[in-house]
Amino acid sequence: MRFVIRRLLLFAAALFGISVLVFAALRILPGDVAVVMAGTNATAARVAELRAEFGLDRPYPVQYLDWAAGLLHGDLGMSALTGRAVAAQVGRRAAITFPLIVMSLVVALAVGLPLGCAAVITRNPRLRGFFHVLAIAGGAVPALWSGLLLLLLFGRGVGLLGVLPSQGFPADGWTGAPGRAFASLVLPAFATGFVAAAGIMRYTRAALEDIAAEGGPVDMAMACGMTRTQALLRVGLRLATPQLVSVVGLTFASMITGVMVIENLFALPGLGALLVGDVGNRDLVAVQSELFLLAAFFLTLGLIIDLTHRALDPRLAAGEGE
Amino acid sequence: MSQENGAHGEAGATNGNESRNESRTTGAASTDAGLNARAKAPRGPKGHKSRGWLWSLIAVIVVAALVVGVNAFFTNKQGGDANGDGGASAAKTADTVAIGLKLAPVNLDIRHQSGSALEQILIGNVYESLVSRGSDNKVHPGLAKSWDVSKDGLTYTFHLNDHMNFSNGDTLDAEDVAWSINELKARKYYNYDQVANLDKAEAVDAHTVRITLSAPDSNMLWYLTGRPGLVYDKDATWDEKTGALGSGPYTVESFDPSDKIVFKANPKYWGAAHKAKTENVVIRFLPDDNAGINALKSGDVQVLSPITATLAVPFRDNPDYVVKAGDGSDKFVLAFNMTDAKLKDKRVRQAIRYAIDHRQIIASRGGVDAKLGGPIPKVDPGYEDLSGVYPHDAAKAKKLMKEAGYSEDHPLELTLTYANVYGSELGDQLKSQLKPIGVDLKIDYVEFSTWLQDVHTNGDYELSLVDHAESHDFYKWATPSYYYHYDNRQVRDLYAKALAATSDEEASDYLAKAARIVSEDAPADWLFSWRVTIAYAKGVHGFPQNLSQTVLPLWRITYEK
Repeated sequence: MRFVIRRLLLFAAALFGISVLVFAALRILPGDVAVVMAGTNATAARVAELRAEFGLDRPYPVQYLDWAAGLLHGDLGMSALTGRAVAAQVGRRAAITFPLIVMSLVVALAVGLPLGCAAVITRNPRLRGFFHVLAIAGGAVPALWSGLLLLLLFGRGVGLLGVLPSQGFPADGWTGAPGRAFASLVLPAFATGFVAAAGIMRYTRAALEDIAAEGGPVDMAMACGMTRTQALLRVGLRLATPQLVSVVGLTFASMITGVMVIENLFALPGLGALLVGDVGNRDLVAVQSELFLLAAFFLTLGLIIDLTHRALDPRLAAGEGE
Repeated sequence: MSQENGAHGEAGATNGNESRNESRTTGAASTDAGLNARAKAPRGPKGHKSRGWLWSLIAVIVVAALVVGVNAFFTNKQGGDANGDGGASAAKTADTVAIGLKLAPVNLDIRHQSGSALEQILIGNVYESLVSRGSDNKVHPGLAKSWDVSKDGLTYTFHLNDHMNFSNGDTLDAEDVAWSINELKARKYYNYDQVANLDKAEAVDAHTVRITLSAPDSNMLWYLTGRPGLVYDKDATWDEKTGALGSGPYTVESFDPSDKIVFKANPKYWGAAHKAKTENVVIRFLPDDNAGINALKSGDVQVLSPITATLAVPFRDNPDYVVKAGDGSDKFVLAFNMTDAKLKDKRVRQAIRYAIDHRQIIASRGGVDAKLGGPIPKVDPGYEDLSGVYPHDAAKAKKLMKEAGYSEDHPLELTLTYANVYGSELGDQLKSQLKPIGVDLKIDYVEFSTWLQDVHTNGDYELSLVDHAESHDFYKWATPSYYYHYDNRQVRDLYAKALAATSDEEASDYLAKAARIVSEDAPADWLFSWRVTIAYAKGVHGFPQNLSQTVLPLWRITYEK
């Protein structure tokens, strides 16, 4: 319990730190929304007027408090440019990005886990070498390139087997055309999933190998009559789970930024496009809130991973009690 | 143990439920419960599981068969339809045309937000202006069917069309026109300064509007074709950032700056001449060049504008597509900061102009762009071909640099600041072209908003490169406070005379003279005039070839499948 409380306090402190950091970092950027809105025909007076209209002429601490107070009320603010609530914008984009991440993770796990296990189970040195090369080569492939290859293979209109949509997301979204929405995420999910699979494969192999080398439980299971494969899969994998949960959590987190490239390639209006666009337009209140949300999400993920760890591995809690 | 398992396996085959219960009881009865359970757990339900696999396999096959069957049926049906149509009449006109554009407006607030994408998409389609602009960049009748200008050029009288209304049904009359223009002035809406000479607008009667000027302005009518001339419904309010309410042939159905804007034909459109020919028009925003190409190839869009000239080559060779290049007002301006100590030396500026090989730059961009040589593009009044003022001449450039005290061994260091929307190869090309004459060009490749702040607003730069897309923007060379910092009395006088001129020819003459002086002074180099390449599927009609970056009348666009 004390661990949970301490962890939560740390979480709150980190959120505060992030809000200050995000705010400060964005003020370093040259230009602001008034300049962007006024464009290349603008006079200095016009820019100054717009600046006053957006409240950009106020001192930074005032601007920060204004924003942070909103955050405390759960109000992420309004985008100065689009005139829409930031929360609504993020929500709409997340409805594309998060399913995409989950689908990529499913692909990554479905490919990476079995291959990782196979790499440990097999005794054939050539096969082991092959798995090794696969893991390294797979990890070295940029998602952009795998995405392009997939497009050339399966993209409708451009690919050899034009079966899947290659660009964009149906306008009606998940409610209007769930099938088409799903189909439009398949290629991007595979593009990022394969690359992430290589990482998961590597970690699975390493974790399993460590546990097998340690002996102990795996040897014990074999002594009780399991074959090596059985022992590795049923006992070894169970012991490796906490480590794998961490890796999957980190993969999830890194995918939030990783899928941005793929979103661009497949012209998906996801979080990545939103963030890049808003930074480009110097819509700073929106960017602040978006970055803050992302950071909060990373932190929450870390929290969940930590807590899951302890649920999965009672030895951690016991060790702390002593 | 193996016997036991075998027995359970058989039992599972005949009676799954009972066998599992039985296995549990035997498991509990055994001495080592844990081990037993582990050994059996996967075994017990296995019979069940394998049947599950069988069922899912069957399900997958059935679904796959259904999908293939339905697909084949519909494909055949469509094929049949097409054949039937082919026999009966010519091609079928689609009720939706999708157009891919590169730049998206961030919002639809045309009264506040900058950007030519807004004008391109909304003017003439959703909003209409007092007078309209054609693809020839000339003034045509719009909401006003005709107009008279007084001899002194100070009073404009516009005669409006009859029975006009907005898309919400409200009547559009002289009151709305006068109100819109006076609001523009009072509230300083975007581009209000273009019509600085406009004093006031008043409704004489329901069909007549009189505009009074404080000084003659030969650009007035042309500016009224743009944002300053737009007429809004004074009795209506709407969310200006996410929607638009005008009197045009289309209404905005939905808008997402990251994806697309959907237009629907305005059922209450007042005019017969510009009535929409296609019910729905979807404009997709495709900032990525390759994404655009894919969308065109896969049929997601029927038109792509602009398409990178070098990427358009496969479409040129494909009979299913039409590729065209059109004239526009985009000028790629390499500006020299006239207040910078190094660039005050005219010889340096001239040397840079002589050193740049425009033919090479244009060729590397696909060979469709036009040489420019001066501040006025082909589509604007006052244009003349000034590309001969500083022809490519490396020897002359080197000589001038030598006179100024620089050589390849002792180079002049200059920094070029330009936005990353233009591609890094332009900067690299300039760097290598200027190196032999003794200019060491550093490239500062920044975000567009950084460029806006540092160069445009603060004027803090040495060399700058940007695409000035606006038409009729010569005033920038006659405004010393603009970031060019170009100040030439003669040019300012000529420009003032051009504005005061009461005939178009007279105005053009003055502008041409001023432009030549500007070019000779070399406050900038005009790298090229961007000719926009567009590609569309065969069957698309009515997409304008020229000026489509600013004037895009959608009402005439049709697509025959």
